[in-house]
Amino acid sequence: MTPDMFFLLTSLLFSIGLVGLISRRNLFVVYMSIELMLSSVNLLLATFSKVLGDASGSVIALLIIAVIAAEAAIFLAMIVHIYRENRTIDSDDFDKLKEGNSNA
Amino acid sequence: MLEISIFSILAMFMLGGSIAMISNKQTLFSAFGFLVAMIGLAGMFALLDSRFLALAQIMVSVGAVVVLSMLTILTINAKEENMPHEPNKFKWIIVSSILVTPFTLLLYKTLSSVHQNFSEMETVSSKVVGKLLFSEWVLPFEIVSILLLTAMVGAIVIARKSDKTSKEQS
Repeated sequence: MTPDMFFLLTSLLFSIGLVGLISRRNLFVVYMSIELMLSSVNLLLATFSKVLGDASGSVIALLIIAVIAAEAAIFLAMIVHIYRENRTIDSDDFDKLKEGNSNA
Repeated sequence: MLEISIFSILAMFMLGGSIAMISNKQTLFSAFGFLVAMIGLAGMFALLDSRFLALAQIMVSVGAVVVLSMLTILTINAKEENMPHEPNKFKWIIVSSILVTPFTLLLYKTLSSVHQNFSEMETVSSKVVGKLLFSEWVLPFEIVSILLLTAMVGAIVIARKSDKTSKEQS
């Protein structure tokens, strides 16, 4: 078991999250892609913590888990709010703040 | 050898789960794929000897975040006409995969140029993590607590029914 395998897995997971973020329009899938990217960074931190023999990496990963939880709460609340107003979870419909848009 | 086989199984779980997550049409199945990926990540943490991190991952990510998002999906219960209409979804996925591939290779090459072996370290137990958290990392810890409080209040304020919409519905 070498660190290389973990690095490969981390890059693949981050890229899958990026692809989901770019190509999907369902808000839930966008949200879960962001979570996946954050989690892949977490895995990278844990790997470096083991490579360097320093437990600080695990502590940073723990703090990032807390940030993930906060982000989840805010994002899901926003999805609920937006769905209640517009009755859709298509991310293309959310252009209320766009200039010159009058359907809001 | 045992470690490599465990790693392969967990990696297959994580990659399969995340690919299922971004390619499924049903939102709930995407959430299940995400759940599988998160459980695989907890196993990876355990494989990397970060015992406390694996426990925190299972408790927070699997137990709270995934369950919360599944509850939201089931509560919203979007009908077919409310879902985004994505007729050429797979085309988009393939095109963006091709676009992202060079970035993946760059990331992997950069990371693997570190090229060290795993150092011999003892298991990161909760004792070590707790001591570090309350000595060296105490300021980020406090900032995270404020962030969580703000997120909680903000989520309540955002998700609350505004007076306008409640009047319209009544």
